[in-house]
Order: sequence, then C-alpha cells, then structure tokens
Amino acid sequence: MSRPSDLVQGTLDLLLLKILALEPLNGYAVSLRLRQVSGDVLQVSDGSLYPALHKLEQEGWITAEWKPTENNRRAKYYSLTGLGRTQLEKESANWSRLSVAISNVVKLKEA
Amino acid sequence: MRPKHWFYTLPLRLRSLFKRNQVEQDLSEELRFHLEQKTREYLTADLTLEEARRRALREFGGVELSKENCRDSRSVSFLETLAQDIRFAFRMLSKNPGFTAVAILTLALGIGASTAVFSLVEAILLKPLPYPSPDRIVLPELVSPPGVNLGSEYFPWGQTQFRLLTRESHPFQFVGAFQNDSFNLTGSGEPSFLDGFRASAEFFPALGAVPALGRIFTAEEDQPGHQYEVILSDRLWRERFSSRGDILGHAVYLNGYAYTVVGIMPPGFEFPRAEEMPSSFNFPSEPQIWVPLAVAPQPKGSPSELAVIGRLKPGVAIEQAQAAMDLITKRAEERDPQWKGWFNTRLVPLTRQVVGDTQRPSELILGAVGMVLLIACSNVANLLLARSLGRRREFTLRAALGATRSRLVRQLLTESLLIAIAAGAVATLIAYLGIDFVKAYGPSNIPRLREVRLDLLVFAFALCVSVATGILFGLAPALGATRKDLASSLKEGGRGCAGIPASSRLRNALLVSQVALALVLVVSAGLLTRTFFRLLGASGGFNPRRVLTLQLPLPASKYVDQNHIVAFYQSALSRLRSIPGVESAGIGETVPMGGEGESTVIRMPDHPVGSQREMPFANYTIISTGYLSSIGTPVLRGRDFLESDTADSTPVALVNAAMERKFWPSQGALGKQVGPASSRYPLMTIVGVVPDVKHISLREETPPEIFVIDTQKQWPSMLNMRVALRTKVDPASMTESVRLAIHSGDPDLPLAKVATLTTLVNDSLSQPRFAMLLLAAFSLLALLLASIGMYGVISYSVAQRIQEIGIRMALGAKRRNVYGMVLGQGARLAGLGIAIGLLAALGVTRLMSSFLYGVQSTDPFTFAAVCLLLLATALLACYLPARRASRIDPMVALRHE
Repeated sequence: MSRPSDLVQGTLDLLLLKILALEPLNGYAVSLRLRQVSGDVLQVSDGSLYPALHKLEQEGWITAEWKPTENNRRAKYYSLTGLGRTQLEKESANWSRLSVAISNVVKLKEA
Repeated sequence: MRPKHWFYTLPLRLRSLFKRNQVEQDLSEELRFHLEQKTREYLTADLTLEEARRRALREFGGVELSKENCRDSRSVSFLETLAQDIRFAFRMLSKNPGFTAVAILTLALGIGASTAVFSLVEAILLKPLPYPSPDRIVLPELVSPPGVNLGSEYFPWGQTQFRLLTRESHPFQFVGAFQNDSFNLTGSGEPSFLDGFRASAEFFPALGAVPALGRIFTAEEDQPGHQYEVILSDRLWRERFSSRGDILGHAVYLNGYAYTVVGIMPPGFEFPRAEEMPSSFNFPSEPQIWVPLAVAPQPKGSPSELAVIGRLKPGVAIEQAQAAMDLITKRAEERDPQWKGWFNTRLVPLTRQVVGDTQRPSELILGAVGMVLLIACSNVANLLLARSLGRRREFTLRAALGATRSRLVRQLLTESLLIAIAAGAVATLIAYLGIDFVKAYGPSNIPRLREVRLDLLVFAFALCVSVATGILFGLAPALGATRKDLASSLKEGGRGCAGIPASSRLRNALLVSQVALALVLVVSAGLLTRTFFRLLGASGGFNPRRVLTLQLPLPASKYVDQNHIVAFYQSALSRLRSIPGVESAGIGETVPMGGEGESTVIRMPDHPVGSQREMPFANYTIISTGYLSSIGTPVLRGRDFLESDTADSTPVALVNAAMERKFWPSQGALGKQVGPASSRYPLMTIVGVVPDVKHISLREETPPEIFVIDTQKQWPSMLNMRVALRTKVDPASMTESVRLAIHSGDPDLPLAKVATLTTLVNDSLSQPRFAMLLLAAFSLLALLLASIGMYGVISYSVAQRIQEIGIRMALGAKRRNVYGMVLGQGARLAGLGIAIGLLAALGVTRLMSSFLYGVQSTDPFTFAAVCLLLLATALLACYLPARRASRIDPMVALRHE
C-alpha cells in the first residue's frame, strides 16, 4: 500500500482519527479539513486518503454510514467508534512522547 | 486479536466476502462523490467543466489504483482466498462429476463400513466391564490334567477343591464360587421359572458389585442351613414386584422354600451371562436371582459344578498370582497324592474371558474391514494420482503465471478437504445404517451388542486416514510438477502420451494390490458361504420339522421321591400323547441344540481302566420312550426303548455312533455292557445304536453319549427335564393345549423355554449366518471398489494412449485388435493381482479354518470360482474403456492433444 512518503509512518491514521473525533465527515470533507488544518504542510493525495479510511474502518476504529449531504447527495460519512477513541488516545500519547523526544534531540546545542 | 475487535470487524469482513458487488458499488460511489465535489470546487475557480474534471482526476492520482488499495485495506485476503479456493474447487469437482462421485462414494464406503465395525468391536471387545478396576478380576479355571481328555478345555471346580483354595493363603482379596441353578418362583401370581445362581459370600465383593437396595450375603448366611436369603435382579424386581421398596425383608417362595429378600441389584447387573463364560458351563443368558451357595466347611464328595471368581490382592500382578496358585497346587499334591494333576489352575482375566469366544469372529471381521479400508484408500489414491497427473499442465501454467507453491497447495488441500467432508457426511449415514442393521439382525448371543453406539473417535480416525491418503496422493504429483522447469513441463504437459513410467508403475501396483486384497476377501466369504450351506444341509441326527420343545422343572420341595417323579412324567406324557394333533411325545434331559448334556466317567467291563488318566468319559442322558421318535432320531441298529423296559427288567442303554466308533469300532456296540463309574449302579446292556445327536451347534464333534431310560433310573435327579412333542400341525399352535395338559397334573408348574426345534436350530445358526452375511457384504464391497479401480486405471491409460491407438488404427489395426489390446492390459494386471491374492488367501484362510465346516480352507472349487469371478469382473470393468478405445476416430485421435 502506498503511503505519503513525507508523513511519518502512522501519522496519517492519527490525523484522520483526530479529525473524525471532532465530527462525522465524508471522505471529501476529510480531505478539505486536512488541508485546512495543516495548511499545505501535510500533503495527502486524495488517492491515498481512501485506502487509509478503509483500513481504519476495517480495524474497527471508525464506522461508516451513508447519509444525505446538505445538498441532498448520498455520501459515506465516517465517525469515530469507542475503539477508535481509545486508539486515538493511545496514538496521541505516543505522538507527544515522540515529538518531545525528537524536539529535545533537535534542540541539542553543538559543542 | 482481541474479541472486542472481532466484534466490530467480523461483520465488515464477512460483508466484503459475501456482498462483494455491494461493497464494490459503495466504493465506486464514494470515489465518484469525492470527484464530483472536487470538480465542483474547481468549477468555482472559473474552469470549464471538462478542465475541472480532468484536474480533479489528476489530483486524485489514479482512481483504479486507489480502489485496488482500498480493496487491499479491507485485508480479507485469508478468508477471500479461502472462498475463492472453495468456489474454484466446487467448479473443478462439478466439472468432473464422475471422478467426484466415485471418490466420494469410495471414501464414504470405506470410512462408513470401518467406523461401523470398529464401533461394534469397540463396544464388544474393548469397552471396560462395568465393575470397578475390572482388570483385577480373574477367573481361576481348572484345566484338565495333562493327558486326560474331558471333552472340554475347562472343567468345573468341586466343593472340596473350592474349600481347599479358601483355606490356603491365596492371592485374592476376595474369592467366590458360583453355580447356576434355576428356581421356580411361586406365591405371588403365575408360577415362573427363573434362571439364577448360587453364589458364595465373596462372589459380589470379588466383582465389586454393590446392590442398589439392601445388602449382599453375609458369611454366616453362606452356610448350610442358613442360606435362605435371596438377591433379585432389577428386572425381576420391577416386573414381578413392581419396584416395591418394602419387598426387602419379605419372603418369596423359591422351589417351595421361603427365602428372605435381602438385596436388589442395580439395572444391567446380570453376572455371569452365558455368552461371557466358557460355553461348557451352560450358564443362563439372563440370571435374575442369586442365593447363597452355602458350601459346608468339610464338603462331602457330592458332585457339583462350581465356577470361581477372584479379585487379586492390591499390588499383586497376575503372574505372581499364577505362581501362588501353582504353589497351592503343589502343596495340595504333596499332602494328598490323589490330587496329582487334578488341581492345575489357570488364571484368566475376566476381561479376556468375556470376549473369549466372540473374539475370533470379531477379528475376522476386523481383518475384512481393514482390507476394505485399504482397498478404498488405494482406490482413492489411484484416482487422485491420475487426476493430478492430468492436471500437471494446469499447475505448471498457474505457477508460470505467478501462483506461489503454497497457493497451489492450499487449493489442492481445499479440494481434498471438500471431497473428504462430503465423503464424511455420506459415511456417517452409512455407518449409522450399518450399526442399526447389525443391531437389528445380528445374533443375540454377541455380548453387549445392544449397547453399540457410533464411535466418533473412530469415525474421526477413519476420516483422517482417508484425508491423509488424499493429500499424499493428490498433492505429491502436483507439487512435483511445480518443482520442475516450468517451460519444459509446459511443452511436455499435454503430450504425455508415454505417461510417466514411475507413476504408472505405482498406479498399476496399487491396482494389483486391490485385486489381490479383494480376492482374499471374496475367497474368505466364499468359504464361509459354503460352510453355511454345508451347515444347513448338515444332519444333526434329528429331524426338526414340527417339533415343539419345552422345559419342565419340578420343585425339589414337592417332588422328593424318585418314583413320584417318574410317575408324574408318565402321567403327563400320556396326557400329552392324547392331545389331538400330537404324533408322539417324550422327555429327555436335553433337546437337540438345547445345550450341553451332562458328562460323566463311565466304566465298561471290556475296557478295563489302567490309570486315572485314561478314565473314559461320555455324555449321560436320561430319556423316555417316545423321545427319539419325537425328535426324529432313527435307531441305526438294535431297538429303541420300550414300555417293557422297567425298573424290574434288565437295565438297558442306547449309545450314539460316536461312542460305538470310539470303543467298539470293529465288533459293534450291541450287547456290550456300560455303566456309570461307581459300582453302586448296575451295568446296562446296550440294545441300540443311534446317530450322533448334536447339542450346541451343527458343526460340533459330538462326544460319545449314552442314553438311559427314565423308568430304570436311580441317579441323578430328574427334576429338570425337557419335553419334545412331534405334531401333525404347526407346533407353535399347540402351546396352549400343552400347558393345559401339564397343569391338569400340577397347576403350579411353570413351562419354560417353549420353542420349536426349528427355532433352536436357527438360533444355533445365527452366528455363522451373521459372519457369512457380514463378510459377503464386505467382499461385495471390495469387488465393487476393485472394479472401480480397474475401470479407473484402464480408462486413464486409454485416455493417455489415444494418439497411439489412433496411429495403430491409421496403420490398419482392427477394432478387434484394439479391444484385445485394452482387455489384455486389464487381464494382465488382474492376473497378477489374482496370483498374488491366491498366495495371500492360502495363508489367510488357514487362519480361519475354525470357522469352517465341511469345507477345506483350500477348497479348490471356491478358489477356482473366485478367480474366475475376479477375472470376469476385471474384464467387465475394462469393457467400457476398451469400447471407447475401439471407437476412436484416427483423425480425431491424431489431432487430439
């Protein structure tokens, strides 16, 4: 499976979980939100967004439901499950630990 | 994975598995929605619709690729591959219905038949007895002193010997003696005649049997004068005393004496049943009553036929116990030299005794089943071998297209398993039907037959064996194909006209062994069938047509005086003879096929006895006038008993032909003198010779037998006589008038074991009939399987040789030649199989000579007939492929790939 190379492994999962934790969204809306929140720093191609969503669904972290949009189009809306919430907490904690560790390393002064 | 996780994801996985179209549609729609939204987004940025759509697509980066990735994300590979394999296997199997049906049926027959029979054998032979630690229970059997022929391997214990044993330091924790007896139960309702045992105090503890209610006998009750206590079987208690608990402590009347009921045995306790004991004991098959044996501390030399049972002391092995018994024997002989040789004992574990006589037919049947399973497996092996060779090209192609080895193996496994599961289902049905059939039609004298259940463990075992065969022979050739250089096997694949020599040799070898095994089975079945028909035609020394027999036990309390007894029988006989429809009537101690007679030591003045070792034995049977004509036994020489042979006239006797052959082979028995060993009884003059009347089975070697007349009898008691009536009409219809005739003399007498002589003969034939039918069924099965195998091998080889045959025909070979070629190939293989089978059969049938009667184990007629049968079957199996070969159109064949 192809992953965005510039994303740290597993980070995309974390981002998607976090975004869906705020509110249930369809795939397109997720891609919009990704762009909004991260500016253009995190480039996720639309083509790799869907496999990632499907994987999360298979893992049982998010669940999907077909619902009408505001302009009455049928779309697949993803929302976080209880399992997903646990997973999100775990991954956020991991991420914090990792980022603290990395920034500590990066901040080391050269002798 | 965590269960909670599965809870969420399993429905999704199943959905992607079984609702594939739905899932695909959803995926397309989801992506389409995304693209539409994106296009709309770009439209607002002043692009044309066309441009906007193209941009959206470009941005997306390959819709199909994304879809593929999504499918991968659904990660159902394992289940989906399995489903794919199953679908594919179904397709392959249904494309080849002939192969599938034959494979499934062959396996099902093999598994079903072997499971049914293993279940039978398990229940009969291997199941532990329902007593605590049954392996500790032994039967000490007295064996004949060396050189002394008592007509039987076993002989009964005397009371003196039993007392001697109990006084010694013996290796048993408990040791009890028992003796069968019958009891006339009166007092409440119809008088009934019940089989039972007199048993000493330690009989029940030795078995470890505990009554369901009440208690067992105490040692005090097991003494002469105190023995009026009784233990009832559960069945008797329920049927006769309607399960009343207050029967304990009450008296019932047995043979006219009051016995106090002290215990009720649990349901199913019927020890010892006749079929579990040495047949020479003539035990009842359903004992209902146990009373104390009460052997005196110093028994007088009164004759008694005891059997002994013991429970080994904890920690004593059977070998140590045997050594201890040998020591007792030695001490007894040293103390009293007259015992020399007469006290040899052999300890037989009860578990072995119980299966004793039935063991050998079971082994025979087990052997037959093993052979059928072998044939079935080798048949399936052959089928699969042919099939996977035929599919080499397919596998090579799929390997070339990138299928991994494990993927191919998985698919083959799936196919094998599908076949095995289908075969298992059919086999279950066959096994159930088979067991029901055997339970319904099997002989009643096989112990514990009614308790047989389908054994799941055995079923699983048979299934595993067949699946393993399938995997071994289905997988190996296919794997071989993938291992080879792909390109060359692709080229060679289709044109394997010469076949692969090694594998066709293997197939031929499998076929030859099938034919050989089938021949062994069919020969065995043939011999048993001949035996059975010989038995049907065998003369038992009597004529069973229109004869009614019954047992007439007289209670000892009421019939004390011998003259009284004789007078009763005389008047009963004259009443019976006056019943309209009765041709003749007589009484005798036994009736033909009604059980073993009494045997005794005899003396003959013209055969002086040198030593105790050579004492002659003979059956000693009391009969009345009219008995011989009732059972239809002619007098060969001399005369029958007459009304004029009375207590006051010269004592006379009849002997059977075996007796005459043994003792007076040249001058004949007429006019010779014979008598019981004790000189207290007078010698009798032999006035007639009769044919050997068989007692237990039509195949028995009848021992010498002396018949004496009831009116001249002083010894032993005649309390338990059989009545035989020859009638002019259906004997079974006479029962009621016979009962009336007897009861007009004594209304308290029970009529026991009422049966026609034909029924008795049929019962005695039930076991050989059963063995014959079972083996015949198996050999038919074997024949069928072997011909399927033959058909498979020959048609495969015809298919392989289509081009060759085409060329031959193009070059001028006639249809006839092609027929000959194919049939010849079959005949060669069959001939080889038959030759090997013949050798094997010669060895095997020698082992079954004890089941045969009137036919040699090397009976040339049977062997020749079976060889012809097998050859004919083989040629028949080759006929279809041969016909197919002869119809080959050379043009088509040459183009055939």
